Amino acid sequence: MGLNDDLDRFREVGEKRREDLADFIQYGDLGKSLPDRVRVPIKIVNLPEFAYDRRDAGGVGQGDADLGDPVGQPQPGDGDEDGEPGEESDEHEYYEMDPEEFAQELDEELGLDLEPKGKEVVEEKEGDYTDLTRSGPDSTLDFDRLFKEGLKRKLAMDVDEEFLHELLRVEGVGPDEAFEWARERRVPVSYAWLADAHENVPEAERERWESVDELEEHVQYEPAARRIRREGLRHIPFRRDDERYRYPEVIEERETNVVVVNIRDVSGSMRQAKRELVERTFTPLDWYLQGKYDNAEFVYVAHDAEAWEVDRDEFFGIRSGGGTRISSAYELVAEILAERYPWHQWNRYVFAAGDSENSSNDTRENVIPLMESIDANLHAYVETQPSGNAINATHAEEVDDALADANDVAVAYVTGKEDVVDAIYEILSTEDES
Amino acid sequence: MSVDRIEAQRIAAELEEPVRQARALAETLGLSPYEVNYWIVDHDEMNALIAYGGFQHRYPHWRWGMAYDRQRKERQFAGGKAFEIVNNDDPAHAFLQQSNAMADQKAVITHVEAHADFFANNEWFGLFADDLDAAAMLERHAERIESIMSDPEVDREAVERWIDHVLCLEDVIDQHTEFVRTVESEVTETDPLADEIAALDLSDEVRREVFDDEWLERIEEEAGVEGPAVDLLAFLRDHGMAFDEDEGKAVEFEEWQREVLDVLRTEAYYFAPQRMTKVMNEGWAAYWESIMMAGETFAGDDEFVRYADHQARVLGSPGLNPYKLGKELWEYVETVANRREVAGKLLRVEGVSWRNFHDVIDFDDVLSALEPPPELDSIAPNRLDDLAERDDGTVDHEAIERARSGDADIERYPWTVLTEDGMARRHFSLVKPQHRGALSRIGQRELERLSRYMFDEDRYATVEAALDDVDFGAGWNRMREVRESHNDVTFIDEFLTQEFVDEHRYFTYEYVHASGENRVTSTDYEDVKRKLLLQFTNFGKPTVAVEDGNFRNRGELLLAHRYNGVMLDVKQAKRVLERIFELWGRPVHLKTIVKELDDKDVEIARRRNREPEPKERGRLVSFDGDSISEQELAWAEVEDIAADDVDYDTKPEEWLA
Repeated sequence: MGLNDDLDRFREVGEKRREDLADFIQYGDLGKSLPDRVRVPIKIVNLPEFAYDRRDAGGVGQGDADLGDPVGQPQPGDGDEDGEPGEESDEHEYYEMDPEEFAQELDEELGLDLEPKGKEVVEEKEGDYTDLTRSGPDSTLDFDRLFKEGLKRKLAMDVDEEFLHELLRVEGVGPDEAFEWARERRVPVSYAWLADAHENVPEAERERWESVDELEEHVQYEPAARRIRREGLRHIPFRRDDERYRYPEVIEERETNVVVVNIRDVSGSMRQAKRELVERTFTPLDWYLQGKYDNAEFVYVAHDAEAWEVDRDEFFGIRSGGGTRISSAYELVAEILAERYPWHQWNRYVFAAGDSENSSNDTRENVIPLMESIDANLHAYVETQPSGNAINATHAEEVDDALADANDVAVAYVTGKEDVVDAIYEILSTEDES
Repeated sequence: MSVDRIEAQRIAAELEEPVRQARALAETLGLSPYEVNYWIVDHDEMNALIAYGGFQHRYPHWRWGMAYDRQRKERQFAGGKAFEIVNNDDPAHAFLQQSNAMADQKAVITHVEAHADFFANNEWFGLFADDLDAAAMLERHAERIESIMSDPEVDREAVERWIDHVLCLEDVIDQHTEFVRTVESEVTETDPLADEIAALDLSDEVRREVFDDEWLERIEEEAGVEGPAVDLLAFLRDHGMAFDEDEGKAVEFEEWQREVLDVLRTEAYYFAPQRMTKVMNEGWAAYWESIMMAGETFAGDDEFVRYADHQARVLGSPGLNPYKLGKELWEYVETVANRREVAGKLLRVEGVSWRNFHDVIDFDDVLSALEPPPELDSIAPNRLDDLAERDDGTVDHEAIERARSGDADIERYPWTVLTEDGMARRHFSLVKPQHRGALSRIGQRELERLSRYMFDEDRYATVEAALDDVDFGAGWNRMREVRESHNDVTFIDEFLTQEFVDEHRYFTYEYVHASGENRVTSTDYEDVKRKLLLQFTNFGKPTVAVEDGNFRNRGELLLAHRYNGVMLDVKQAKRVLERIFELWGRPVHLKTIVKELDDKDVEIARRRNREPEPKERGRLVSFDGDSISEQELAWAEVEDIAADDVDYDTKPEEWLA
């Protein structure tokens, strides 16, 4: 036991007490989290105690103040930092998880199982020195290979010259016959050498043996291997040709890259309630994909009749006045993806959200063709329409009708917080099936 | 031996001198701390110590883990803040972080010495035990609970849950009385209070003395409470039962349950004094730290900037800061006492009376006369002769001889040639820049009070003669007196004045329904004091006591919230009731008063630009083991728990929204 046990116990207790993930996504405060740290509020980590009602208790502050001045922040209890036992803070506690854990938990909770696809290239790194090249620093010279090649060469070139000299002393054997014999036995000797040797055989010895058979009764052709074993290796013919240098193997790591494009309608009709629903749906999707893939990048595109790229910080808050032309966003996205996130290297998710209002015919004439032309693991449209359908808001339906059969398009309808998890499931399970 | 240990030893060796000097300095300043053992720890050990409340072993519990986790995260981002950990023990143990800069180490050491003085001399700390060995006690508790947890017969999680239940009530003890460890009692039908007192096993003499009839009557009358009801933990230990899920009924505590409860109650009592004297204790330490570090340049010149920076960060934490409030109050106590001393002497000058005081006294002249003489103010080898000539008890002549012969380093440790009187002269608060206005601010009423009992009014012929008689130690003497007997509540109650509130710009705020936010409501010291007292009385928690242990004649527990005009956090109270059920085994009830506002009232008030008037209603909140229920009580039934003589509301009568 000890503090580390206590820490483990806290984690366990915290895990148990953290808000149910689905509740958290639908109703919780997402704003406390950072892009890479999901902070799920923990229920009751501070033990309850008899306490005053905070509002009713009021408090004391310090500074220049006139009667009736608003007091900005509710003053914290005290600025104490040595954490004496029994000092409970009123702040919320959070259970922190990284996106990986979030994705895992969401898989469990929703019964999803999305396997990220490995995409191309990514990183070349040096593996073991197992590849060879013809030049290189001395220290990487593959001497084993050089020796073996030399040995092979020796074996290949080496002939039992004594026997061949004797062979040429067989009656009726000249260079032609000897060469013939050598070819049959695969003895590596040239005609020129035989002719030369024959020249040098004294007349008197030319008929020492009556036949080859007789010769072989007395003298055996000894293959190189046997002779090396008998005599030992005296000389290995190293050749430059046999030199090889070790070289590290190139390993291509296939990292799983994902780019998630978040598109949001920021036109005048997208009021607060709708914006919140978009944030509530997109944020967990972002975390989830970030948790699933090794490397995740995000692109945020806001649009009314025009589209422009924005930072995440401003993405969910922007509101503009203009009309709506959803295709403007897809045009921009097509450009961005082609330029920065080539399809052969990146998994792509294109999520758009809005209240389904679009300028007439834009959906059919422009958006749907664009969605079809942009390669992506998944396209999704999330309709946030808290008050039910508006008359002209047909974008989601049109997309649904046109692309219902495509297994890479999901359309989800969110009319309130309670729909958010279903929408997320709808979107993520679409790819899951594909 | 690890490199870290070697490093720690090197640092320890380096710190020996500062530790010795700080102790000598503290004693010269009139402090009498417990012995302090200093330990050098690394960053992680420090985090662990902080999580454990200053000790090395505590019983296993997740909340230490939580504190540790939070500590690590905070300190990861908070940067190199120097932490001081000293625990209340005799000898005290203090921990210094290996990576602290020397200036921080010195600041921590001076701070620690002052805490150790407070531990040793404040009466509230004496309530717990005469022969304190806190570290050993907490370690014993830890071992005991560990062994319960590892008992195969006992479910570890059940122990942990049990601890959680008890911890919810750790503030519901009677922290104002001496800690009595063993209370064994038998409940009789007749008089539970008498019974409880009998169970205290006191001698008749003591019993008559402490629990006289008057006291008994007062208790019963005031609170309508029977029994030593404020110590709920003791009450539950003696009369509580556990709820057996399987059998569906209350059963006697297991031995371990009683034991755990007892251990936790003991610890609650041990830590209570620290929590009851936080403002005083932290302020005391900050005050003396600043005298030693800045006033006596215990920080070397090169270290001073760093020290000032550290000090600014500690005191500049946001919100109501107990360190700052405490330090300001101590300085105020000091300054008021000094000013009274000086004014008292001046009033004895011929021709000076409380009526003409402000007209005839030239405060600038007085203040320059009170300035420490140059040889005391800046002690230097070439001024030793001047010092040696002083025979007013401010200098230590032997030490001067040592300094002359080169045995004492007075450039680094100038205070060694002074006595406590000399130090008081040197640090006299009225002439410090921040307190220069204090003397002239003395009010007519205070002057009148001072002169009321004065019999030798014309004792001095001149102002100079009067000032010659000033006791420069008046402020420090007063501070030491106050440090002995007060706790935060009495400290704030006695010393917070309008002058103090104005000078330090304190204000109160309340939640205003009309605008839905907190607004400044008052800068009147009575209001500020009331609000502060609300925050510090009973650990800043509402008082809840046992009203009836046999409620409805069914053995149910009735608790009463002593309503003081500020309502309970009812939602949280319900969760506490669920916990108490586990310790009582039978249904539990809480009687309280809530304030109700309906939306219509708020709306009407808003339109009329006024604060709505909430209605107070009696309420009985109950938990029967399954569900929480709430029941309205007639006012007559809660009248006895409502206090009508306190009012924590600081909103002006005419609220300007």
